Amino acid sequence: MTRYIIRRFLGLIPTLFIIITISFFIIRVAPGGPFSQEKELPQQVLENIQKKFHMDEPLLVQYGRYMFDVIRGDLGPSFRYQDHDVNFYIFSSLPNSLFLGFVALIIAIILGISVGMLSAVKQNQMADYVSMSIAVIGISIPLFVVGPVLMYFFALKWHILPTSGWITGRNGWKTLLMPAVTLSLPYFAYIARLSRASIIEVLRSDYIRTARAKGLRDNVIMYKHVLKGALLPVVSYLGPAFAQIITGSVVVEQIFRVPGLGRFFVQSAFNRDYTLIMGTVIVYSVILVVMNFLVDIIYSLLDPRVSYK
Amino acid sequence: MSDSRPDIEKNEESVTTQEQPLSNLPQQQPEATNEFSQPVKGVSLSKDAWRRMKKNKMAMFGLVVIIIYAIISLAAPILPIHSYRTQVLQHVHLPPSLTKTAGQLWYEKDLNYMHKLNASKGIEGLTDEQKQKLADIQQHIKNDTMVVNGKTIKTHDRRYLLGTDYLGRDMLARIIYGGQVSIAIGLIGTITSVLIGIVMGAIAGYVGGKTDYMIMRVVDVMYGLPYMLLVIILMAIFGRNIFNLFLALSLVSWLTVARVVRGQLISLKNSEFVEAARSMGASPARIIFRHLVPNSLGIIIVFSTLRVPTFIMNEAFLSFLGLGISAPYASWGSLVGDAVEGMASYWWRLFFPALAMTIFLFAMNFLGDGLRDAFDPHSKNRL
Repeated sequence: MTRYIIRRFLGLIPTLFIIITISFFIIRVAPGGPFSQEKELPQQVLENIQKKFHMDEPLLVQYGRYMFDVIRGDLGPSFRYQDHDVNFYIFSSLPNSLFLGFVALIIAIILGISVGMLSAVKQNQMADYVSMSIAVIGISIPLFVVGPVLMYFFALKWHILPTSGWITGRNGWKTLLMPAVTLSLPYFAYIARLSRASIIEVLRSDYIRTARAKGLRDNVIMYKHVLKGALLPVVSYLGPAFAQIITGSVVVEQIFRVPGLGRFFVQSAFNRDYTLIMGTVIVYSVILVVMNFLVDIIYSLLDPRVSYK
Repeated sequence: MSDSRPDIEKNEESVTTQEQPLSNLPQQQPEATNEFSQPVKGVSLSKDAWRRMKKNKMAMFGLVVIIIYAIISLAAPILPIHSYRTQVLQHVHLPPSLTKTAGQLWYEKDLNYMHKLNASKGIEGLTDEQKQKLADIQQHIKNDTMVVNGKTIKTHDRRYLLGTDYLGRDMLARIIYGGQVSIAIGLIGTITSVLIGIVMGAIAGYVGGKTDYMIMRVVDVMYGLPYMLLVIILMAIFGRNIFNLFLALSLVSWLTVARVVRGQLISLKNSEFVEAARSMGASPARIIFRHLVPNSLGIIIVFSTLRVPTFIMNEAFLSFLGLGISAPYASWGSLVGDAVEGMASYWWRLFFPALAMTIFLFAMNFLGDGLRDAFDPHSKNRL
């Protein structure tokens, strides 16, 4: 088991390396640069700036230099914002994004599994139809429709919650609630469908029949036997779900003005702020890859059938 | 399954076959039956699936909705709607109305505004200046004309069923034309990514060995990429045009198809019919594309149907961020994105495009689910 974990962990390194390399070259081959503005800079100034950021060197040398810095944990200076370096911007905004993402994921998991369980138990009854229709609606409505609609009713019409912004401390839930619910909706819907399907499948299996035949109570069967087997697909969905939640949070952060990483990301892409784009991509990829890794580990712990070769 | 049981007795095939005494026909093959001992006719997979699909009400509802959308989108040029790009500056932000003309709405809007303004200043009634302005508006409404398709019409007799946007353009037309763009992106994107996926998956699955390993490594690594982020970078850096949009979206979405097709091919490639084809000297390309791919078509169709909404959603996502389609064209996503700013005052600009889009995605998802159930190999030959 330990060897499996170590082997999987070492496998992350080439993936990250490839991601960084691809993004680096995609960004660099594009026409235009961080310093090409409407008002053209004098030749000498441009050359000096490029020299300062080592942009006058051949691309491969720049690549080597950047990789070396990244390995040391330094994401370089921002090309646009002069007050701080990329590390500062990323690590001051990342916690907000991560917090939002985790809260959304937890809402999605708890609600999704409960609704999925409910409709699996009441299969083909009214409760099942209602909750599955809600789930399809959840999948069909884009985040950026849900967000503004919630904002319209809860903030502008009924004045229950503030429209947008980010408060820390005890009243933080007020600004967290709407973005987190918005972000969780599609994942809630998907998890509900997923867990319904797999619970139904497990309920029909032989070992559940055996458990029934032994005379176990329904509750015991449900929580001890069914859920353990039925949650495997849900667990393996969590990796991609978290990846999408992180991407989705770009939009939600935009709508609700959450000072997270997503807003930096879009802005830096528009600005051609090479180092800031690279920094955000690297951080997102690390989160993604590590999440997928953790999910794999959890999966293999939950399911004894998975072999760790 | 349980709700279809009563149909068994009504099934004509079962009645006729039971009447035939089997002993009189010794040379005939025994009737094919499924595991419930119900006689079945050998039908093709697609016919079998279609028969099951027809019973799924939600899926059929989805299909009908999609056909309606397709007809409206295709017929948009001949429908009696306004142009999606004509701007009438006096008609900015008119609310939706079934009965009133644009002129009436314009007049009401300005009148309301003046009353509100005066109320906030504490003035009763209207000032002379304002009365003069209203009279001017009346005059305009009577006299203004514009030329549309070579015909001169009265500008303020136009009607906007779903209101107008911030440049005085008809929302209905923009939603219909935006729908064209969104649906086209969904379809073309899906087709492109499915084609790439089929080719890559088929090569990996059929050839196997090192080729398979290489292709699947690439797929694995690309799975690890934060792909919407990559698309955002591509769009922001290479400029926003439709071609880049297609390229960026399909470039990163062929992965799942490739995996699915590969899996199918591996499970099929050692079957008898492939061996037969090979023994008759069919080339690998012929075996792959004439024999193996058609056999996994069901699963590909299902996957594609569920893929279309994802594409539309992703395009909308990009348009919302200002990275998708650019003016004067519209897509559902860009319409919604534009409307978010002023949604408190101009709800119709957010509501109608969002509704049009949601209904379409809803229908598409229902159709996809229905197809998946219908093509499910476990339900083959069930009634």
